[in-house]
Amino acid sequence: MIQVDTNKCLGCFACSNICPNQFITREEEEGKRRTVRWAKCKEECDICVEFCPAKALALVPYSERTPEMIEVSFDLVPCEVCGKGFATEQLLKRIRETIPANLQKDSAGRSWVGICPFCRRELEAETASKQIVQSRRF
Amino acid sequence: MMRVYVDINRCIGCRSCEVACKRVHGGKGHVNVHITEDRASVPLFCHHCEEAACTMACYSGALAKDGERTSFSLDKCTGCGLCRLACPFGVVWTDKLAHKCDLCAPNETPTCVLTCPAEALSNDYEVALKRARARAGRATILGGKR
Repeated sequence: MIQVDTNKCLGCFACSNICPNQFITREEEEGKRRTVRWAKCKEECDICVEFCPAKALALVPYSERTPEMIEVSFDLVPCEVCGKGFATEQLLKRIRETIPANLQKDSAGRSWVGICPFCRRELEAETASKQIVQSRRF
Repeated sequence: MMRVYVDINRCIGCRSCEVACKRVHGGKGHVNVHITEDRASVPLFCHHCEEAACTMACYSGALAKDGERTSFSLDKCTGCGLCRLACPFGVVWTDKLAHKCDLCAPNETPTCVLTCPAEALSNDYEVALKRARARAGRATILGGKR
């Protein structure tokens, strides 16, 4: 049986991708909220335990007292530019911890971690096109 | 394996590279042409960074540096989406599992480079260097006059 430490969960969906029996399901309200649900499983399989990036899962002996379904919900953090939710707080915290501080700023000194991937591309295109308009004058 | 150089001055925004990339990668493209107002079009894709943040965020070893290339192996990916959030340029995607530019390995020349009708994409360092020098030369001769 799988035990979930809901305080450690990042809300990343790795376990639900990897579960061979579809005991772990997910739901995402685009741009707002995501939910992960672990149905009580009797298998002695620990693939999800092995692949959890946060080590939030553990294989424990079967117990009648555990509820049939464990659920964790996360509000998505809004993008600093477009305001649309794009990641859980826990995932962004993990990024801030794993990437060296000097890489967390772009060439203009702006921190990009709180910006969604779509807006990161828009900003990059904007910067590049400014350079080009400059050079078209010559 | 050479990286791809982009000359935005030449890009005509036709999105041929996007289509070509999707064609050779089973419908999942890794190039995005962004059109900024009416001024320019910019093809965006993996920079294959030397210090690649995506490889630092990836805990399963699916993303790794392989010489100049930032390589991705699908069989190690769990679809956690950390790489998507770790890429400063937003050019790692996760549709359940991650996908990104692989420079069309093991082919010598990436398909986007072969396809680009405007020669905005190139994997020849000498060409990129020549163009940059020509631009700098023009700027010097004209003395910054408009």
